[in-house]
Amino acid sequence: MTLSHFVSRGTVLCLLLFGAGCSTFSGSDGGSVPVEKEPEYTTVTPPTAPQPSARTAYQPLLDKAAQATARGDYGQAMALLERAQRIDPDSAEIYLSMAKAHQASGDMAQSRATAERGLLYCNGSDQCAALRVYTR
Amino acid sequence: MIRTRHILLKLSLAALILGGLFLIYLDARITSTFIDKMWELPAKVYARPLELFTGAGLTTDDLAYELEVLGYRKVTTPRGPGQVSRNRNRFEVYTRGFEFPGEREPARRVLIELSGDRVKGLSAGARRIDLMRLDPVQIGGIYPSHGEDRVLAQLDDMPETLRQGLLAVEDRRFYQHWGFSIVGIARAAFSNLRSGRVVAGGSTITQQLVKNYYLTSQRTIVRKLTEVLMAILLELHYDKDQILESYINEIYLGQEGPRSIHGFALAARHYFDMPVEQLGLHQQALLVGMIKGPSLYNPLRNPQRALERRNVVLDVMAQQGVISQEHATVARAMPLGLNNNRRIRDSFPAFLDLVRRQLRQEYREEDLTTLGLSIFTSFDPLLQRQLERSTTAIMDQLDAAGELQSATVVTRFDTGEVAALVGGRRVRYAGFNRALDARRPAGSLLKPAVYLAALEQPRHYNLATPLQDTTLQIKGAGGKLWQPRNFDRQSHGDVLLYRALAKSYNLASARLGMDLGLDTVVDMLDRLGLDRDVPKVPALTLGAGEYSPMDMAAMYQTIAAGGFRMPLRSIRDIVDAYGTPLKRYPLEYDRTVSLQAMHLLHYALRAVVREGTGRGVYRYLPGNFDVAGKTGTTNNGRDSWFAGFSGDLLAVSWIGRDDNGGTGLTGGSGALKVWAHFMAGASERSLDYRMPDGIQTHWVDDRNGYLTGKGCPHSRMLPFITGSEPRQRTNCSPRKSGIADWFQSLFGRDD
Repeated sequence: MTLSHFVSRGTVLCLLLFGAGCSTFSGSDGGSVPVEKEPEYTTVTPPTAPQPSARTAYQPLLDKAAQATARGDYGQAMALLERAQRIDPDSAEIYLSMAKAHQASGDMAQSRATAERGLLYCNGSDQCAALRVYTR
Repeated sequence: MIRTRHILLKLSLAALILGGLFLIYLDARITSTFIDKMWELPAKVYARPLELFTGAGLTTDDLAYELEVLGYRKVTTPRGPGQVSRNRNRFEVYTRGFEFPGEREPARRVLIELSGDRVKGLSAGARRIDLMRLDPVQIGGIYPSHGEDRVLAQLDDMPETLRQGLLAVEDRRFYQHWGFSIVGIARAAFSNLRSGRVVAGGSTITQQLVKNYYLTSQRTIVRKLTEVLMAILLELHYDKDQILESYINEIYLGQEGPRSIHGFALAARHYFDMPVEQLGLHQQALLVGMIKGPSLYNPLRNPQRALERRNVVLDVMAQQGVISQEHATVARAMPLGLNNNRRIRDSFPAFLDLVRRQLRQEYREEDLTTLGLSIFTSFDPLLQRQLERSTTAIMDQLDAAGELQSATVVTRFDTGEVAALVGGRRVRYAGFNRALDARRPAGSLLKPAVYLAALEQPRHYNLATPLQDTTLQIKGAGGKLWQPRNFDRQSHGDVLLYRALAKSYNLASARLGMDLGLDTVVDMLDRLGLDRDVPKVPALTLGAGEYSPMDMAAMYQTIAAGGFRMPLRSIRDIVDAYGTPLKRYPLEYDRTVSLQAMHLLHYALRAVVREGTGRGVYRYLPGNFDVAGKTGTTNNGRDSWFAGFSGDLLAVSWIGRDDNGGTGLTGGSGALKVWAHFMAGASERSLDYRMPDGIQTHWVDDRNGYLTGKGCPHSRMLPFITGSEPRQRTNCSPRKSGIADWFQSLFGRDD
């Protein structure tokens, strides 16, 4: 689904929802009825569009992490990978590198859990298959 | 006669022995503590460093704020570290560089270009930069109870004129005397005699150091004698430069709240926001002048008096030949040269409180206040600013009288890091930290645990399972009847499971919880990371118990992360005074809940904001921005809660009164607004739709939960754990459908 498709459908939906009476919302939680005030709303700037790929930014960190893993410095490897993940939290590639580093350090439980979480973010069968190897 | 002489002799001998013992005691005191004292340093607490790369989400306003709180000086052309020039969306920054744990960020001149709230270009000269980070803002320190703060410096770091100026004003014969100055003491005694009281001390630098280190500020003869003795002993043990180095680190130069500024290096940072090496002559003279009266000559409070004192010092420096008359004249003409940037250090008591509590689990208080540790946290000043703005804006709007309180916890749920925290309505007030210490019932915020426990049993429950929303009575302990009611005091008959949660129906939820069993609900709360004793009573299904916003954040963190529990972290790394990494708090995932069941719960929590009690969020957020969440209201509107997440942030907001009275608010009319106002200003990513393995979608009839065809009356697409879809089917065949609902829109599939 393209972004524009997503945006246009969302906008139509929102208009419909508002048309159907969004303003009458109220909590339906327990207990006796609090006095419902007419809500007053503030207009705020809408958030920005989704982020473009940050791969160029984090790739050098992945390379350094691989080197750190190779020389057995797992703490440094994970520190680099966590920094990479903060730059792009949705990258399955980073989850894969993390799973590898955990496995190399002997922490199989973390390797498995990290790969499992990475599966939520994988695109394409190769990437997903690579992560699945670590979930077994 | 002989007898008297004997007594005198004995007395003299006793005095000599006592005097000797006293000297030995003083000597031991000096040698055992002097070197240690030099290294007593409070821990420094840092915010996260701002990561810069092409494509990073960042507004010009945010970058300007970050640079301002970092104390970058606005100049026309940046020529040295800590300077910035700005031309609309182009920032030319000479970064300071920073020694991060395990990695060094160099100081360099970079060009940052922003466009459309993103970093568009990042370069140093002709070279493109892929990734860099600014130095982190110091948000606070962990000071000992006496509040002393300092940045250690070596004597060689001091500009020669500062060192010479200090000696010219405070102790001209420093390199000649033995720790005390007869001339000085005589001069002081004379002026004291003349005025009839103690007005002058006549202390050398060594004496001042001894007094500051070991003695009280009492002005008595005995204390003065002790001071002189200790000064001599100090000079015997240590060379002049060691003593001078201690002095420049020890000297008291002002107060900022409970924090006292010690040493030239910290004073240079504090008053001028510069390293001491880079201070101008006029700034050096001001620091030297302030020694005489740090609060009297405080340039921030008494600029005129400080200016006069500075000029006196400049004159002395010229008279003593430290500087030329010309240099003195130029320096006299300079303004004070203070740093007027906004200060945010020690402005976030709620977050610092959280950091301190985490630290105390592993460090002794004494280590934190003396070892000079650097604590790198996940605190995000930009998110905090937005959270403070949203809290203030909404609270002022809801309750102009200022009676209600509020607290919010914000995490980046992919990593479990706490990024911002507000502990009360007066957002920077160091009082009761409600985010951590409030103990309130959670209302419907606990309901997702009940529904999740059900969805983990796909043979019995799915999103389309009809639940009975009808009155119930449960006999509790002591034969007391528990009779929950719905908010609208109505029963709604059979309601599909997803809708019962979206609409927050109490009767359906309580019945579901009781059918599952309280043990199952308690177990689920535990697996979600709620680390608190919960009352095993029927009312638990509707939120009974005592929880803080942080407790709720821990629980919703697991939900937002898709079923992976991770400890909420506020600290990333701890580094010792020498830059050696001491400890890292690593990211750890623990999958504690079925991913498929969690996926279904996400559907229901999205339904809350699209068609349930949380619809108000779209008064603040654009319609195409996906979020999920849950409202919570407790009896008589005592607590108003909202917990929810977008694609990058999780936030839990609470509004209530400290006296536990009613607020007149529901979750939807109170905390939801703080949450949505914050998300609209802070979140960068809409909640993506990601389907794990083992999930399929089917069309069901929204009235009874039967399978039906696309385009049939009341048809609705729902996700199901494979094989758990409803068995019963309507006899309607698929046909061309009309308008897609919110789920189809984001799911983007036609069948």
